[in-house]
Amino acid sequence: MNKRKYSVLSAWLCVLPALLFIGVAVLFPILYTGYISLTNMNIFNWFTFQIIGFRNYINALFVFDSGFLSALGTTVLWTALNMVFQLVIAFVMASLLNIKKLRFRKLYKTLLMFPWAMPGYVSILLWRNGMFNSQFGLLNQWLERLGHEPVRWLASDVSAFLSSMVVNLWLALPFMIMIMDGALQSVDKSYYESAKLDGASWFTCATKLTIPAIRPIIAPAVIITLFTTFKQFDVIFLLTRQPGARTGANIHTVLTFAHENAFVTHNYGFSSAVAMILFFLLIAFSLAVNIRTRRAVR
Amino acid sequence: MKKSVERIGLGCLHIFFLLICFGVLIPIFYAFSVSLNAQNSILGSDFSFIPREFTLSNYYAVLFDQPVLLWLRNTVILAVASVCLSMLVAIPGAYSLSRLRFRGRKKIVYGLILLHSFPAILSMFAMFRLLTPLGLINTRLGLIIVYVGTMSIFGLLNLKGYFDSIPIDIEEAAQIDGTSGFQTVMLILIPLAKPAIIVTGMMVLIFVWNEYIFAITFMTGAGNYTLAAGLFSLQATEMSGSWPVFAAAAITVSLPILIIFFATQRFMVSGLTAGGVKG
Repeated sequence: MNKRKYSVLSAWLCVLPALLFIGVAVLFPILYTGYISLTNMNIFNWFTFQIIGFRNYINALFVFDSGFLSALGTTVLWTALNMVFQLVIAFVMASLLNIKKLRFRKLYKTLLMFPWAMPGYVSILLWRNGMFNSQFGLLNQWLERLGHEPVRWLASDVSAFLSSMVVNLWLALPFMIMIMDGALQSVDKSYYESAKLDGASWFTCATKLTIPAIRPIIAPAVIITLFTTFKQFDVIFLLTRQPGARTGANIHTVLTFAHENAFVTHNYGFSSAVAMILFFLLIAFSLAVNIRTRRAVR
Repeated sequence: MKKSVERIGLGCLHIFFLLICFGVLIPIFYAFSVSLNAQNSILGSDFSFIPREFTLSNYYAVLFDQPVLLWLRNTVILAVASVCLSMLVAIPGAYSLSRLRFRGRKKIVYGLILLHSFPAILSMFAMFRLLTPLGLINTRLGLIIVYVGTMSIFGLLNLKGYFDSIPIDIEEAAQIDGTSGFQTVMLILIPLAKPAIIVTGMMVLIFVWNEYIFAITFMTGAGNYTLAAGLFSLQATEMSGSWPVFAAAAITVSLPILIIFFATQRFMVSGLTAGGVKG
């Protein structure tokens, strides 16, 4: 009995320091965010704020002008488009990389890994200054040489959204290609031989054989990417905002929306309410995913 | 006949991959060549990927005209402290969560998974407000606490996942042979978990190296900046022509991360996927 008590104590002692850090730096700020979300705290009443109940939540969810719902819509569209393009392009690229007798496969893979290896914010700023800049960006230099007018890529909503998507795909595809590549290599090659004997086309092979075989292997990576795409902040923030000003486009994902309300318009109570709504959304989403995957395993 | 068709097909494939790789690398090539180009013809349209006149003056400007060395020092201090502290708390914590049985263990794991889904940016204002009265704004300690807290969750989950994948039989055999609990961990579990420990440490390092939003929000004054925050403040705007210097700075800052990434790449897949969470 005493020994058991000792072992429980040591188990807690091992995990406690980590929990302490997490409690101070993560859990407590989240709880405090929940508290702020119930107040009317903003820059004018930094100390004199009052509790106003759920008014911030009502503003966010039911007043369309608040901008939260449109940011949420943009984020859903953003996530869906990015995921579709990522999965399709990564599947095609990985299939091509796995064609028999292809030499220099390793070299191509290494080169394709570069966008993943570069620090993310550096790549985004390089895209912005090197490619999209309206004066000395490479895209406009090419356009000019072709005799077109320069385009201000990041100045209007639609083109800024598409530009952000290109950058996000550029950043995210290497990871997805690597996951797909690993999954494709794990498929038993003898299936393909017998499918070939039966006269199956490439397309039937892909849809009837490859995709069902790799689906359970890539599922965790796809779910993780789904979450990171939904929570994407850097691409849109760094492409459309410059220190102190905007580039002209006014697109928001939910995260940049919450950030702007806290640090640009200083509407802390409202921003915290948005943060809490997102937290609950993410929890509900991950619970749903967990239940579904557990069912699939059983 | 069939063989030559195949050969043409493979040739097309090689051309395709070379074009794709070149296309993917264009932003990096472009920054690299601009940073080395002496003729600052940024407004001319006679651009080429190979600099016409080679110079290192942009790199010289980065290293000596800007406080980059100071930023590097700040970043290294923050990164080393965060990596050491977070691994120091995450390894025993993950060991406890994976190997020891106690009440509340499962609840802690679920709680960690839920907290992991919460983006830290959303509670940044609350952190700011909590750290201000404690006098931790504009100090390294404040940032270190934030970094260690957020990365400990990832560390705990990732290492626990990897520990779970190591069969417990080896440790039991060792204990029958008479090693103590502590010895078993140090001599058997930690050496076996080396890939995961290396990758987790690297992910913390890369996270701190690349983190700019907390660094610019919690630190004011260029003297306190990290490399990421400094580079953010250095960036060329639509009008300013500091793009060659910025390009040189971007290449300089990326180099250490590129080296670390490709050095640890062979551990990357096994060290990351076993835990089921990505940084």
